[in-house]
Amino acid sequence: MWVYEKKLEYPINIKCTNPKLAKMIISQYGGPDGELAASLRYLSQRFSMPYPELKAILTDIGTEELAHLEMIGTIVYQLTRNLTPEEIKKSGFDSYYIDHTTGIYPCSAAGVPFDAAYIQSKGDPITDLHENLAAEQKARSTYDNILRMCDDPDVCDPIKFLRAREIVHYQRFGEGLRILTDKLDSKNFYAFNPSFDKKCRDKNR
Amino acid sequence: MTEREKLMRQLAANDFAIVELHLFLNTHPNDNAAAAKLDEYSVIASKLRREYESKFGPISAMGRDSNRWAWISNPWPWDTSNEGDK
Repeated sequence: MWVYEKKLEYPINIKCTNPKLAKMIISQYGGPDGELAASLRYLSQRFSMPYPELKAILTDIGTEELAHLEMIGTIVYQLTRNLTPEEIKKSGFDSYYIDHTTGIYPCSAAGVPFDAAYIQSKGDPITDLHENLAAEQKARSTYDNILRMCDDPDVCDPIKFLRAREIVHYQRFGEGLRILTDKLDSKNFYAFNPSFDKKCRDKNR
Repeated sequence: MTEREKLMRQLAANDFAIVELHLFLNTHPNDNAAAAKLDEYSVIASKLRREYESKFGPISAMGRDSNRWAWISNPWPWDTSNEGDK
């Protein structure tokens, strides 16, 4: 289960609104490499993970991604407060505004609604951990793209924090993959699925 | 920055150290130095939580001091400081 904490993982206090930037950053809420996809991916994959270290990594990182989802929602919310219709039209936020006003809706920067097809839960820990390593790098690239579009230090600061977390998570998933392969047949890691072919796993360990 | 924000920043920074060490220890379970650091920050965390919750209301719904009004009152985490502290 989860218990809510009435706090952000990292402080956010944005003084100037910027609807144009908000429309880009919403992609890390519900876009293809966003935090909603990240949390769902890890929290779903952990059920078929074979070793306790891997269950722990996926649970802890999946939980932290929920905190990041809240941070992105906070950034978008604070960037779109008290907007006038003129500001909305001029900034290009109008296409979001028509369907969601200034509500926080999980979609990409281009307005595509969140889709579970962004994630995979393959039931094979080797495959899933590689998916996660790629996912962390894709999210890192997206944060890099956001930082290139952003010159407000109130926004850049929490975005840089989130970018750094992608790198740490990548590191931990890499160690998780190493822990896994250390327990498999070193001549052929792919000889079987360590989640599904359980007899095989016990014999080879 | 208000006193509440200052205390919240301290608390969040300390909690972040816990999150990071906790994650690190998943793949380095025998690292005693990291485990000792985690214990150190956990002691500070409970001290900061007690101080914050006694002054500004509960952080968690499981808080010992479950003051209903303080739980529902602003600021919520996404509020900006000028609207939230009202």
